[in-house]
Amino acid sequence: MKYTILRDKYEQQAADPNQTIMSAYQNRVLRINLTEKKATVEPLRMDFAEKYVGSKGLVIRYMYEDMAPGIDPLGPENNLYLTTGPMTGTPIPCSGKLSVAAKSPATGTMNDCSIGGHAGIRIKFAGYDMVVFEGQLEEPGIVIIDDDEIKFESAEGLWGRGSHEVEAELIDRFGREFSCMSIGPAGENLSNMACINSDYYRQAGRGGIGAVMGSKKMKAIMIRGTGSVKIPNIKEGTDRILELLHQSCLDEENQFIFDVGTFGFLEACQDGGIMPYKNFSDTTDENWTEYNDAAVLPYRQGKRGCGSCGLGCGNFIKMGDVVCEGPEYETTAVAGPNAGNTDPKEILRYNMVCDDMGLDTISAGDTLVWAMEMTETGQHDFGIHWGETNKMCEYIEKMARRENEMFSDLADGVKIAAEKHGGFDIAMQVKGLEYPQYEPRGSWGMAMSYAVSDRGACHMRSYAPNEEVFAASVPPYTAEGKGQVVYNLGEFNAIKFSCCICDMWGTIDYAIMAELLTIITGKEWTEDDMAAVGRRVINIARAFNQREGFNRQQDTVPKRVIRDALKTGPAAGQVIPPEAFESMLDQYYEVLGWNKDGTMPDELIKSIL
Amino acid sequence: MKVTIAMRGTLKKRYGTEERIVEVPEGTTCSQALEAIGIKYQEDKGFGFVSVNSMRCDIETELHDGDYLKAFSKVYGG
Repeated sequence: MKYTILRDKYEQQAADPNQTIMSAYQNRVLRINLTEKKATVEPLRMDFAEKYVGSKGLVIRYMYEDMAPGIDPLGPENNLYLTTGPMTGTPIPCSGKLSVAAKSPATGTMNDCSIGGHAGIRIKFAGYDMVVFEGQLEEPGIVIIDDDEIKFESAEGLWGRGSHEVEAELIDRFGREFSCMSIGPAGENLSNMACINSDYYRQAGRGGIGAVMGSKKMKAIMIRGTGSVKIPNIKEGTDRILELLHQSCLDEENQFIFDVGTFGFLEACQDGGIMPYKNFSDTTDENWTEYNDAAVLPYRQGKRGCGSCGLGCGNFIKMGDVVCEGPEYETTAVAGPNAGNTDPKEILRYNMVCDDMGLDTISAGDTLVWAMEMTETGQHDFGIHWGETNKMCEYIEKMARRENEMFSDLADGVKIAAEKHGGFDIAMQVKGLEYPQYEPRGSWGMAMSYAVSDRGACHMRSYAPNEEVFAASVPPYTAEGKGQVVYNLGEFNAIKFSCCICDMWGTIDYAIMAELLTIITGKEWTEDDMAAVGRRVINIARAFNQREGFNRQQDTVPKRVIRDALKTGPAAGQVIPPEAFESMLDQYYEVLGWNKDGTMPDELIKSIL
Repeated sequence: MKVTIAMRGTLKKRYGTEERIVEVPEGTTCSQALEAIGIKYQEDKGFGFVSVNSMRCDIETELHDGDYLKAFSKVYGG
């Protein structure tokens, strides 16, 4: 079927003298009502785009507008958004990421995930800036977006199966010009840790975004786009974009990510004292060379990047019977040292099984290593011990299928499992989202990054080790000045991800972002604009969460971090005093002009809408 | 005394992939050892941090005989 164009909304937009229609946007938002199996197209809110640019920022602004507070994240009122940015589908390198967002069932906060692959570009080429899935299908199905055609098909024969197999079958059926976004059994069974897969090994991983798709009974979304993106002065614009590709994106500094990939961070984290060991009970691992890049890269079969990628961080690894694109640093650390495991093949297997079952490797891993510690210390017998990585894979399958009560408890994530079985002090999470693999006692700012992150413990919001450890530009074991440090890093990522630029273009700066936006949109953007958008994005996310009842009380740190000193590594002896943590929060709120209780003044909220 | 110096990350591209065993005077710091092999780390925008015997430390840390000094480039991404 074809969508209905909401012409009255376009007429309203055309009549509004305050709205400037920028190039590089398609000016079309596709809303698909799954309950009624109907689709409409409406104009993009250009006033939102001017304030929030695209992807991350734009979708949070839409979520704030569209969704009433207090809705059930797994109910029909929760929307699932696929959001591109103005750079998507242009020649700008590293701009192929897609924001996938919804209210999170794991945290109750807003949750925007960034997924690589080619789905984002295909949505844009199909003619949409954003696709919004509303309501729920009655029966499990797949949704096909084929340029102007929107189709619904049954998921019979697909429901219950692993994500890899499903994607292979659907791509075989529809053709390679389609992108597939699918969920595994974990999403179907509404796990708080369920992810969405695309291009087999790319994930919108965190906050149970796959459970939202599962609640809508969508097994897969197929996308084909055969259109284009219009930018002004295409010859001069493209020439300049290619200059910036060579001057900045392909700078030697960024090429490490092509040469090694993110699991090359392992040694920096090991030597930097921030690689977690055995459920964050300590840092560093004397056996780390057994699973580092030197041990794994000889098994590399090839490289892969996302659409528009200039850097190609993906490694295809084949070790015996295990073939997978990965592992990334996060997966290596959680299934390696954090699980007391040293076998790289088992790390790779864990990666493969999680992807296929549709579970986030970080959250599922943290939950399992917590279960290992609970078992080892006799607090609760989950039947899994340090180093039993083969059992981790078995548990992943059973968790994804909620095979029995124990696996169902674990599938709900570490917070809910700890509330039921004890061990809350060693449950490494904030707001219900499990810790990424950077130990905050070795990088104090990271404790606050996790605490104030808009979707619970996330390393993609403000990456404090960048300054505290890797660049050695600020001392890591102090609260002093950290409010500003964490804010600056967060502001930068907020605008970078709103431009939908990949994290791996590390040398990009505000000047380049502003110039690129100016080239493609035809509107002039400045470095100050980039900073202002970044700040606004942090604020709109906080405003959404505040409306859901969040404030300082939920900006927390696991007790282990403020109680137990690290024993080994360069950060040995480090523990974050509670008053230091509170001081960092005070500083951060002050930088943003928030109240001491972590809420935002009303006038601040009004100013960003 | 003898120390071993190795590069990590993108520093390998600029300064070589091989470990170098160098003879330096007693009391030499990490920064002095790097300068002794021609690495002007303060002028290198991609220079990150150093570790001695796999323990991150201040660049002015004094080295001892047999130490293994690693110089890391900055890390982007996460």
